[in-house]
Amino acid sequence: MNAKMETSDACDLRFGQVGIACVRVRRPDAAALCDELERRVRSAPQLFSRAAVVLDLSHLLDLPDDGTVDALLEAVRSAGMLPVGLAYGTSETEALATRMGLPLIAKFRAAYEPEHGSVAPPAAAEPVRPAPAASAPAQIAPPAPPALGAQHHEGAVRSGQQVYARDRDLIVTGAIANGAEVIADGNIHVYGSLRGRAMAGAQGDEKVRIYVSDFRAELVAIAGHYRVFEQIPKELEGHPVQCWLDGEKLMIARL
Amino acid sequence: MTAQIIVVTSGKGGVGKTTTSASLATGLAMAGKKVAVIDFDVGLRNLDLIMGCERRVVYDFVNVVHGEATLKQALIKDKRHDNLFVLAASQTRDKDALTQEGVEKVLEGLSEDGFDYVVCDSPAGIEKGAHLAMYFADQAVVVVNPEVSSVRDSDRILGLLASKTRRAERGDGAITQHLLLTRYNPTRVAAQEMLSVKDVEEILGISVIGVIPESENVLAASNAGVPVILDDNSIAGQAYGDTVARILGEERPLRFTEVTKKGFFQRVFGS
Repeated sequence: MNAKMETSDACDLRFGQVGIACVRVRRPDAAALCDELERRVRSAPQLFSRAAVVLDLSHLLDLPDDGTVDALLEAVRSAGMLPVGLAYGTSETEALATRMGLPLIAKFRAAYEPEHGSVAPPAAAEPVRPAPAASAPAQIAPPAPPALGAQHHEGAVRSGQQVYARDRDLIVTGAIANGAEVIADGNIHVYGSLRGRAMAGAQGDEKVRIYVSDFRAELVAIAGHYRVFEQIPKELEGHPVQCWLDGEKLMIARL
Repeated sequence: MTAQIIVVTSGKGGVGKTTTSASLATGLAMAGKKVAVIDFDVGLRNLDLIMGCERRVVYDFVNVVHGEATLKQALIKDKRHDNLFVLAASQTRDKDALTQEGVEKVLEGLSEDGFDYVVCDSPAGIEKGAHLAMYFADQAVVVVNPEVSSVRDSDRILGLLASKTRRAERGDGAITQHLLLTRYNPTRVAAQEMLSVKDVEEILGISVIGVIPESENVLAASNAGVPVILDDNSIAGQAYGDTVARILGEERPLRFTEVTKKGFFQRVFGS
């Protein structure tokens, strides 16, 4: 609105999206974590060496004590990555993050724990923007994480076209032609014929699925595990199907 | 009232774009409209042959685009219809001789001259010539043959029409897309050697504005320099007549899409 007038300000405070790797800790074993991450850094140094990462402890049954977290952070550092914060968790995680002197990444902040009945509802439709300096005290809490929802594509995706839904699900209401591609970091739903390619979990999420109401695909992939169809199995062709990952195996079955 | 610009396009070559452009332009002129038909296939000019005016080309489209001739000098009046004009392509140049500003200037000039329709005969492919032919269009006739490679290329073209045109860029509402199925042979469709009308409509997700049956009259008409729509005795000509009527808003049932059983007399006396 008055963006031009603000050019004299010392800085702009903006919320933007930057890609950041998230280390999801499965067991609080610092040595194993270091080994695993070192292997990753060696395999793709240009991608992971000195990469900023956030530590996600939410998959651990109990939050580890401060000493263990210190060891985990040190493990990440010695593997060649730079831990810059914690991600995802309860208010305990937030307290832990404060003790560690690290930020809890705003996007994943524990603002909506189920037991906190009193917190504000997510402002889903609100675009992310810096909170004005003179905001009411009640809004000291960080801005709501953007509820990304799904990306909708109305109508057909024609041969040669590519549709990509970053960080979210993709819903296509038309047909996807031979030689067309739909890609999503989340799930993919196709309410038409899928004759082209569909790739879900493009950032490596193995839990996403692909749902198709009329299956005639050239290729489907989830988190990099793909199947090509030179010949579409008779029991699948033209039927509604879903695709998911079972370990390394890409499964496809009629709905 | 500005001129309606109709591009005839397909992606794939040899499917019948120029045949369709010639018959469409002639059909619109027969319906009393003032029509210009432009050959965008610079370097491989054919439209003048099909229209039967190849020996009357003095100035061409490229000359007008470069300001070397006026529109009036370059427009060739059809010998059968006073309200039909041909703008031929240059055979000695290539597609890079066309510029977006030059094409826009020509189309504006035609609009100012009171033309009702401008038919743009696109070259094959999706490069510069084809892009410029479709860029300013209000309507598109996508010519498709009942075979898989043609259908796929048409699908690509339908995608480009929805994104790479002036209407799409300005958000002026979508181009009206017409699907025209040519070289249709009901006997071979029945034998499952060709895709059916239904197959093609299903794959491309739009319905056809016309189905032109395969016919030897098309080749004969092309060689004679007479648009096939003028041949009342050929089923292809009649099907083009139906198609033009539908583009002008008339409702007509599809003809010549079923295998015709020869009647008793035909069997006895031949067809």
